[in-house]
Amino acid sequence: MEYALEVQNLRKEYPGFTLNDISFALPRGYIMGLIGPNGAGKTTIIKLILNIVRRNSGEVRICGFNSLAEEAEAKARVGFVLDEPPFYGYLKALGMASVIAPFYKNWDRDLFHRLCREFDLPPRKRVSAFSRGMAMKLALAMALSHGAELILMDEPTSGLDPVFRRELLERLSSLLQDGRTSVLFSTHITSDLERVADYITCVRDGELVFSTTRDEVLESWAIVKGGAEILTGVTRDLFKAIIRGPYGFTALTADKEETRRRLAGRGAVIERLKLDDLIFFLGQKNKGTTGGRT
Amino acid sequence: MLKLLRMEYLVNRKQMLIILAIFSGYFAFMAYRIGSPRVFLVTMSLMIGLALPFGIIGREDRFKTASLVCSLPLRRTTIVLAKYVAGWIAMGFGLAYALLLAAWLPFSRFSVTEILTLKSILISLFLLSLLFGFIFPFTIRFGLMGIIIFLVSSQLLGVVALILAQLLGRSPNPLRTVMTSIEKGLRAMLHHEATPDFLMLVAAAIMAMNAVSFFLSRTLYARRDL
Repeated sequence: MEYALEVQNLRKEYPGFTLNDISFALPRGYIMGLIGPNGAGKTTIIKLILNIVRRNSGEVRICGFNSLAEEAEAKARVGFVLDEPPFYGYLKALGMASVIAPFYKNWDRDLFHRLCREFDLPPRKRVSAFSRGMAMKLALAMALSHGAELILMDEPTSGLDPVFRRELLERLSSLLQDGRTSVLFSTHITSDLERVADYITCVRDGELVFSTTRDEVLESWAIVKGGAEILTGVTRDLFKAIIRGPYGFTALTADKEETRRRLAGRGAVIERLKLDDLIFFLGQKNKGTTGGRT
Repeated sequence: MLKLLRMEYLVNRKQMLIILAIFSGYFAFMAYRIGSPRVFLVTMSLMIGLALPFGIIGREDRFKTASLVCSLPLRRTTIVLAKYVAGWIAMGFGLAYALLLAAWLPFSRFSVTEILTLKSILISLFLLSLLFGFIFPFTIRFGLMGIIIFLVSSQLLGVVALILAQLLGRSPNPLRTVMTSIEKGLRAMLHHEATPDFLMLVAAAIMAMNAVSFFLSRTLYARRDL
């Protein structure tokens, strides 16, 4: 299989936070969602891929190019939308494009102009006067205008109205039709992922929880509800996180079938997982309010 | 690299024009008031060295665009080199402009032969290299905060020097010794005869300072997280 992005054993140490041994791969022509609670390390992963942040160890390959040894070749294939789009505020949208365009061989001026029109970006307004949503749209227009093979987006849909959010997701899906473009995007809005993502990578506290197909996540992971008497030393090991209530518990399991088998006849209810639940449970664990295990 | 220089030009041109307009008035006033070409050279070099390049280097910090530049298909070494070259282009242009202004303004107190000499140009370049070469690594690593740290540290050092001078009285004050040595060195350089050996030595010092500063900056920037 040909990969647009291969991340191997990526490690970054900060005081008080370590992104540890992150590995995943995104095949060409697919969309991957990067999820996790706040502070899990999603933005750091995207910055490490772009070399904005320097890694302590590990390797990143973009379309087969080593992102350090062949930095320019690798980055030429990447379009990016960062969480806070970094623009020279005193320039206008077209001015920003004219600054960036010479760095990309395949810059398509007409496409950029068309995208600006489609995104309703005012050509005569300074970028500093743009709302967050407009700045995101400009970043997106720039990312899409040079035939990038890998598009990296950090929270691209935050700050966008629902109409444009849906348009953006449709546009991302349509990008994949050529079979060579891939997208990695981090988000908190899990409904976006459920709509378009083929793969999901989940991180928590700087550790990789899983990286697999969306269908496998939704098939294997589940929410389990039951009475407190079910929670024994043995059954607790089935759960990634547990929230206790006055009448029982709600827990997250990564192995729905095994849980169903072991809790059969004990009054537990196994529900289909939504990605929202996943982030909620992992976030709760993050806050230390549960007795769950990982 | 040329693309980066073009980018520097596009994003800095307005700011540079404003600085140039302010400098025109300032240098004209200096050429009218200051009688000594040596004092003019030192003051002008300090002004150019402080005002022109740091707009270019500090801009990424001000607009938080370093992550944009470092996400482009470029190596960090190329980014540092382009900033270094852009800084020198700005300073070189500023220096040429100031010297020409001082030489040809009708009310200037300097003659062309006094101000437009190889020695005066080399000494100006030496002073610019000293300033730029010293502060560039600070700025490239710590951004505008680097300049502030440097300036505040210098101020604090000055305060410490004054306190030590008070406390130590006539006994040798190490900071004063350093300052006096710098002053003596500068004075000796300004008054030195423009022999070929001396000019070669100044040129070699300029190259050495810039090489060290560039390689240090490159190493520091390679480790910077944005």
